[in-house]
Amino acid sequence: MIQVRDLHKYYGDLEVLKGIDCQISKREVVCVIGPSGSGKSTFLRCLNLLEQITSGQVVVNGHDLTDPKTDINLLRTEVGMVFQRFNLFPHKNVLDNIMLAPMKVRKKTKNEAREIALSLLDKVGLGDKADVFPHHLSGGQMQRVAIARALAMNPQIMLFDEPTSALDPELVGEVLAVMKDLAREGMTMVVVTHEMGFAREAGDRVIFMDQGVIVEESPPEQMFTNPQHDRTREFLSKI
Amino acid sequence: MEAGLNLDFIKAFESLPYLIQGLKTTVLIAVFGLLFGFVIGLAAGLARTSKNKALYAVSTVYVESVRGTPLLVQAVWLYFGVNQLLVQTLGFRLSSLNAGIIVIAVNAGAYIAEIVRGSIQSIDKGQEEAGRSLGLTRIQTFAYIIFPQALKRMIPPLGNQFIISLKDTSLLSIISVGELMRHSQEIVAVDFNAFEIYTLVAAVYLLLTLAISLVLRLVERRLG
Repeated sequence: MIQVRDLHKYYGDLEVLKGIDCQISKREVVCVIGPSGSGKSTFLRCLNLLEQITSGQVVVNGHDLTDPKTDINLLRTEVGMVFQRFNLFPHKNVLDNIMLAPMKVRKKTKNEAREIALSLLDKVGLGDKADVFPHHLSGGQMQRVAIARALAMNPQIMLFDEPTSALDPELVGEVLAVMKDLAREGMTMVVVTHEMGFAREAGDRVIFMDQGVIVEESPPEQMFTNPQHDRTREFLSKI
Repeated sequence: MEAGLNLDFIKAFESLPYLIQGLKTTVLIAVFGLLFGFVIGLAAGLARTSKNKALYAVSTVYVESVRGTPLLVQAVWLYFGVNQLLVQTLGFRLSSLNAGIIVIAVNAGAYIAEIVRGSIQSIDKGQEEAGRSLGLTRIQTFAYIIFPQALKRMIPPLGNQFIISLKDTSLLSIISVGELMRHSQEIVAVDFNAFEIYTLVAAVYLLLTLAISLVLRLVERRLG
C-alpha cells in the first residue's frame, strides 16, 4: 500500500532523510519510533506531501508522489492525517470541523455529511459534543475529534504524527483506545509515537529511526525484547 | 477692546448648519475612502503574502511608498501635481472631492494591506496543513479556514485605521475639499471665533470616532 524507495529529503543543505526504504502493506499498523531529530515526522509528512520529496520514489495507494502529474488533493482524500497539536478549526464547532471536507471535497450534501459526522463522533465517544467549539474540549477530546475529522473522508490509510505527545498523561489512554479500535478494524496505519505500550499492543511492526535512516525494523516483541543494533538498545534503555 | 474672556458659543452654534454641511462631506469621504481602501488593502495584503514575485514586488512598492510619505504631500501631489498633468494631456481634472476620496482610499489601503498580511500570517501553519491534509485545495483552505480566522484578528487594527483615516480627512481642507475642517476655517475667518468653533469641531470629530469605537466593540463581541 505504501512503497518508499531511497527517499531523501533536504532542508537547504541539511539532509534530514538519508535514503529511506520501506514497504507497508494493507491493514498493517506500523509504529515509527526514534529520538527527536531522527526524521521520523518528516518521513511521515512526506507520505502525504506535506513535505516536498527531494529525491527517491514514494508510491502511496497507487499514486506516485514524485510524478508531477499526480493529483495531490485526490491522494490526500485517501490518506488521513492526525497531528500532534490537533489543528482543529477553532472558528467551527465540532460537527462543522468534521463536515467541512466531506461537503467541500466529496460534495456530500449537508445531511449526508452530518450523518457521517455524528456516527464518527459516536465511534470516538463524543456523541454529545457535536455543537461544542474546540476550545471547550480537553486535549484528549480534541484529538478524538481530529481523528473523526480525518476518518470522515473515509481514508484508506491513516497517518498519526505523535498524536499523544501534547496530551496530559491521564488523557493519553482515551486517544490510544480509539486508535486501537481503528487498528482492530483493519485500518492501515503509520504512527509516529513514543507510546511503546501502544506499539507493543497494536503494532504489527516497529521501525526505529535515527539520524535520517531506518536503523532497524522488526515486530514489536522482537524490537523491545531483543533489539539487534546498539543504537536501538541505547534508545530503548532510556525510555 | 475690553480685557477678559469674551466667548460667544451661541453665535458659534448659529454656524452649525454650515458645519453640518461640512460634516456630511467628511463622512462621505471617510465612508467611500475606507470602502475602497478596504478593497485595495485586501488585494494588496493578499499580494504581500503571495509567492508570485511580481505581485509581491508591486504590492510592496505600493505599501512602502504610501507609508513613507505624508498624507498631506500625497493630497497636494494628486490634486495639484497630477491634475496639472491631466489638464495638459487629457484636458480634465479631478474634482477636490474625488481627489480627496482617492487619497484616503490609497492611503488607508496601504495600512490595511499590512493589517491583512499580518492577520493572515499570524494564523498557525497547522491550520493550513490540516485543511490540505483533508484534500481541500489551497483556495478552499484559504477561504474556509484561514481567512475567517484572520478576519477576526483584523477587526481591532481595522477599527484603529478607520479612526485614523476619519481624522485624516481634515487634512483635505488644504486641497479645498469642503469638509468639516475647511468649513470651520471659513467660519473663523469671518467671525473671528476660533476658540468656540474649533472646540465645537474637535467635539464633533470625537463623537464620530467614539461612534466608530462603539460599533467595533459591538462587532467584536458579536464575533466572540
